[in-house]
Amino acid sequence: MKKILGIVAALGMLLASNAQAGEFADEKIVLQISDPNPFKQTLVLNVAGNVLKHYGQDKVDIEIVAFGPGLRLLFAENANKGRIKSLTSSGVKFSACKNTIRNMGKKLGHPPALNAAATEVGAGVVRIVDLMNKGYKLIKP
Amino acid sequence: MINKNIFKKTLSAAAVVAGLSAIQVAEAANWLMLQGTERPGAAGRAKVWGFIQAQYQNDSSDPNPGGAYIPPKLIGPNLSSQEQFNVNRARLGVRGIGMPLDSSVNYFLLAEFGNNGITAPGGDGDVQVSDASITVNTSATRVRMGLFKTPGMEEGLQAIHVFDYINFTTVGNQLMLERLPNRGAASNTPPATLPNPSGINGFERPVGAFRDTGIQFFDSIKVGKWDHSYAVMVGNGNGLNFGDVDDNKDTYFYWSSELQYGGKGPRAEGLKLFAWNQSGKRQLDTGSGPVEYDRKRQGVGIKYLKKPHRVTFEHVSGEGMIFVGPHAPTFDMNPAAPPGNGEEGEASGYYLDYGFYVPNSKWQIDFRYDFYNRLTDDTFETEWKTTTIGFNYHVNKKSRITVNYSTRDVTAVNFAEGAGPNANLDGIGDRVAAQFTHIF
Repeated sequence: MKKILGIVAALGMLLASNAQAGEFADEKIVLQISDPNPFKQTLVLNVAGNVLKHYGQDKVDIEIVAFGPGLRLLFAENANKGRIKSLTSSGVKFSACKNTIRNMGKKLGHPPALNAAATEVGAGVVRIVDLMNKGYKLIKP
Repeated sequence: MINKNIFKKTLSAAAVVAGLSAIQVAEAANWLMLQGTERPGAAGRAKVWGFIQAQYQNDSSDPNPGGAYIPPKLIGPNLSSQEQFNVNRARLGVRGIGMPLDSSVNYFLLAEFGNNGITAPGGDGDVQVSDASITVNTSATRVRMGLFKTPGMEEGLQAIHVFDYINFTTVGNQLMLERLPNRGAASNTPPATLPNPSGINGFERPVGAFRDTGIQFFDSIKVGKWDHSYAVMVGNGNGLNFGDVDDNKDTYFYWSSELQYGGKGPRAEGLKLFAWNQSGKRQLDTGSGPVEYDRKRQGVGIKYLKKPHRVTFEHVSGEGMIFVGPHAPTFDMNPAAPPGNGEEGEASGYYLDYGFYVPNSKWQIDFRYDFYNRLTDDTFETEWKTTTIGFNYHVNKKSRITVNYSTRDVTAVNFAEGAGPNANLDGIGDRVAAQFTHIF
């Protein structure tokens, strides 16, 4: 009985992790923000919102990967934090490049405070490659 | 025990910080924030921007019996004609956050290339810096230092490139748009004949342009749907001039509370209540050495904007340094120069504005009535009543065409028709103006 329960639990965890990775979504999209132009911040959020609206929250997985100057989008104080919160609640994920965080920290004298929705990833570009290998399509607005 | 105290203090400090963080800072929902701050984390190092306003104005006023004209019958700033095309504003500026990683400091620089009271008279057509300021944003308040718009009258504080009319109200133009007196005594300038009127436009320095050089503490706090803003400023009281001419400093106080309906930026919709006060001294040398006079201004108002309707009402009053130029041109406010003594006079006025945005169209219809009582209870008390109707056609979000038609009724209330100041005021007629605005 214990063995059966263990197998069921393991299967459950496996399914959950696959679902997290967007295994069952019809579309999987990774959006890149690495541009210093503030307008690009608005643009990438608009694109995420439009894609969500088109496919529906349950049928698309969207991850926004921020690195380089684009990391400012995920600063805690960023003026778009309201929109980020709203997209997060709709399932959009946000990834912040650790390399960029470290380099910006050197210039600032302290690491930048990040939005609570941001998940730190080793390197923004590597995260994009990993996601593309899992079937995500890269869009760079 | 010591550790407990430290723990308690740490908790208290954390609670205070958490409390401050919980108060959301409003996003550019008012003029203080729009002009003095940048969007945190989302502003560029240097955003180049500006706008051009090109216009045509025609004044149908009649001259006095001697065939001469006073300034309200001529088109400013040159006051040399009753009909002219003009590039009244051509401003180019740059603003942003010098170090984009750190939004705690931002700047604002703007210069005037057009032909108006900022550049002529005073500047003789030269380019004039109209704004140059740095803002330091802290968790407690925001501190802005430099040359910038002073907290005060809504008409003056608002961004001019989104102003719904072409000309200011009379109370805005005469009571608030300060003409800084010339440094030395000068005799009153009589009405002038056309063409080539002489001496009618003799200011040494630019108009105040609703600006001053100083330091301002301000912030905007959002509580629910309300956005509360304050500003406290100390300045030279010397308009667009960077330096000071005396040791007196002007003080400025401002408060506004706005119920926000939506949108953001200069055309955000809401119901705003506001009040302000300005106080300072001006030095005037009428030939026997400099004398100091008080200059006090205060106002209250309300602005409602929820398309398709816009309603604005503001009441303004002032004591001291009442500009008396536009009826028998005088620019030094010399008490010995009749008529009137603006140095110690009083004045008040108001305006009521209504705008209708035609639904599903690019058209906006505007109506404004403004009243100004100059030199209240003085022999030379004068009433100015102006009614303006007009429209704006918004070609796109950055471009519009504005047309205004104004009727004016001006009377020195203690004199019969044609007598005293009325000899010059009679005949002030209608004015038509058309203006193209393009923001880039």
